[in-house]
Amino acid sequence: MDDHLFHRRVVSGDESALGELYDHFSALLHGLALRVTRDRVAAEDITQEVFATFWERPLGFDPARGSLRTFLATVAHRRSVDHVRSEERRRVGALAPRLFERPHDLEEAVVAADEVERVRQAVAGLPDALRQVIELAYYGGRTYREVAVEIGVPEGTAKSRIRLALRRLAETLNEEAP
Amino acid sequence: MSLDRLYLDLLDEAPTAPPPGGRARLLATAAARRRPAASCVSWARPYAGRVAAMDAVFASATAWDVEIVEGWNLQELLGHLTAKDGLVAAAVGAPVHGPPITVDEPMARTAALHAHERSRSLLETRRSWRDQADALCHALAGADPARLITPGGLPLPVGDQILGRALETWIHTHDTAVSEGLNLPRPTAGELHPMAGLCARLLPVTALMSGLEAGNRSIRLTLTGDGGGDWHLPLLPGAPSSVYDGQEVALSLRADAAEYCFVLGGRGADHVWEAEGDLSLAADLRAAAPGLSGP
Repeated sequence: MDDHLFHRRVVSGDESALGELYDHFSALLHGLALRVTRDRVAAEDITQEVFATFWERPLGFDPARGSLRTFLATVAHRRSVDHVRSEERRRVGALAPRLFERPHDLEEAVVAADEVERVRQAVAGLPDALRQVIELAYYGGRTYREVAVEIGVPEGTAKSRIRLALRRLAETLNEEAP
Repeated sequence: MSLDRLYLDLLDEAPTAPPPGGRARLLATAAARRRPAASCVSWARPYAGRVAAMDAVFASATAWDVEIVEGWNLQELLGHLTAKDGLVAAAVGAPVHGPPITVDEPMARTAALHAHERSRSLLETRRSWRDQADALCHALAGADPARLITPGGLPLPVGDQILGRALETWIHTHDTAVSEGLNLPRPTAGELHPMAGLCARLLPVTALMSGLEAGNRSIRLTLTGDGGGDWHLPLLPGAPSSVYDGQEVALSLRADAAEYCFVLGGRGADHVWEAEGDLSLAADLRAAAPGLSGP
């Protein structure tokens, strides 16, 4: 995935690049929006809107400042949180006073605060061998190769162990989703 | 943040695809929000791409009244691009937008467009500019890129005229992005390579215009980065350039392809070319290079 190339193609008005990005990231963004909103219609709309906004204003993304995946996920997360808040306000009713609004920049992350805790707990609940590779690769910032060297297994084994751990974490989070 | 990456990676392991039909719906929505590049013949694609890029910068632009270049704000800059696109359009028999052309000269036409656009909104001007550019793209379907035309008094084949329009649109898009504090990515390699080729072929022309007596010598020009290439350029007027293939040269020049194009376009006064060989010739060529640039 060459972020620079996709960015250039989208800036140049190449629709096929947008289609390829949709193929590549729509399941991820939709999954993210669905986890936050728990609303299929909203998640679908948010997914559409994230891509359409990126197409309309591609200069809002700067590849020097981070990956396209993180950028799109951050926008999807922000829109999902906005949706949840406006739903809450609607439920509470227009007459209820809004005592405080959390400032937007605190939410400029991919993971919601309550999800952070769930992810941490899910990692802690993994069997030792799986927890170790996740901690090295994600908390310790090691590459797959470095993880393999550190635990003394071939790189392919480390890679499949990490994927197994990721699947286990995804299942745990899905079970716990209220 | 590592937890962001972990979170996205584990979502990737359990993806929940949106319902089918989303891709087609997105492409329809997107095209209505910002027009895709006009479909056109392959040699006009750099122009269609740069027009779409200008539209993308416009979509993020907020300082509409700020002077960008030549004393022009965004509306006046678009009027200038429309004016010059319109002269090329007239020369190839494409529809001309705005008032009828009375004088086939870029600044006179620019003044006419400025007068015409002044009472209109910026969004109307944007639409006129884009309509003119797309009309020109579409009209090139049956055009012969080798046919010589002289819009605004500049004699070049149709193909080079269009690359010239791509280059000027790109440079003014860059001017606008700088003015807005936006980071404009370089064109794709497929767009940049033909523009770099035009700028390579124009280097002997700028040398000639500056009165440089280069005699029967030639140079090698290596443009680096995506879209670059390697050219053999005889400095004798009329001698054709070609891909560099080991020829004996008086001088070898090396520069980033995008930066080199900007120098020919009168931008990047501080860009340095690496030179090997006749260094005084290198200095003369560098000094003469922006000679064809103008508003």
